[in-house]
Amino acid sequence: MMTAVTKKTVLIVLRHSPYGSGLAKAALDTALASAAFEQSFDLLFMGDGVLQLHPGQDSRVKGFKNLGRQLASLPLYEINHVYVETQALARYNIDVSKSPVHIQQLNGSEIRQLMTCYDHLMGF
Amino acid sequence: MIYSLLILSSPFSGDCSRTAAAFARCAIARGHTVHRVFFLDTGTLASAANSVSAQDEDTALQSWAELADLHSVELAICITSALKHGMFDQTEADRNKCPFSTMDPAFTMSGLGQLVDAYASSDRLITFGG
Amino acid sequence: MILHTLNAAPSSSAFADCLKTIAEGDAVLLMGDGVYAAIAQTEASRVLEATKATLYVLADDAMTAGVLNVSAAVSSIDIAGFVALTETFPRQQAWY
Repeated sequence: MMTAVTKKTVLIVLRHSPYGSGLAKAALDTALASAAFEQSFDLLFMGDGVLQLHPGQDSRVKGFKNLGRQLASLPLYEINHVYVETQALARYNIDVSKSPVHIQQLNGSEIRQLMTCYDHLMGF
Repeated sequence: MIYSLLILSSPFSGDCSRTAAAFARCAIARGHTVHRVFFLDTGTLASAANSVSAQDEDTALQSWAELADLHSVELAICITSALKHGMFDQTEADRNKCPFSTMDPAFTMSGLGQLVDAYASSDRLITFGG
Repeated sequence: MILHTLNAAPSSSAFADCLKTIAEGDAVLLMGDGVYAAIAQTEASRVLEATKATLYVLADDAMTAGVLNVSAAVSSIDIAGFVALTETFPRQQAWY
């Protein structure tokens, strides 16, 4: 099925809350598929996307998948570090000190610098 | 250049899905290749064969189907999103004991690997959301 | 250089997030609900102008919304203009 020979670098930008729409899940699935096909990509959480990193998520009461736990499984796919917007973490007072993946915090202008380092940007 | 499009917009909220179809048509007219259009999340609703709109309204489905008919553009639907939203091609209809396909035949069931292939083999990836 | 496509109203978090990453030399295309940021003499059009990015609005979307008093700093383009922007700019970020 996989016909691509040319690799492109991709930044997956996650900007939406985990359960408010299907976008967070779609982005995570895209990341896992990209990892499965050994692509060169990174994840950036900005704005409300940082809510996906909120600790203590427990969706059992709702009977659907816990997105927080899925994010915690990223190292299994050799996704060991992600980029996160500093201001958004502060806005929601999110503590990422126990994050299972290494988090590199960036401000707005650093995010912009980062974005210009990839062939493609995928905004979710 | 080689383009691929990622469609996250629902065809039923806003007009972005139709804008994307117009973009693809125009890109081809300007001599580019549209390698694949990949529909994900609510974007997959563009393939809803049984959606009925008010008579005088153009639909996103018509725009996309024309693109497939006239230019053989591959319209790839993420199978996980599609099944969640009730979109079945004939194979999935049979498997899920649904009496008929609910997906327009211009579209093909696909997996996220095809989205990866699309961005890996395209000069441009244009995302349509909201 | 980045082509930003903005499909959300000026009060949205998409608009705020987009603003954080726009730099001089970028292009911003306002489409869908994003066209309201093109309205002349509004806070939204003023902050966009201050980014020194080149600003565009999708003509059909502006017309649909009745946005006729477009800021002088915003150029109105059709879908061919949109495709042309993607030919020039190597990457696009969708904000919505």
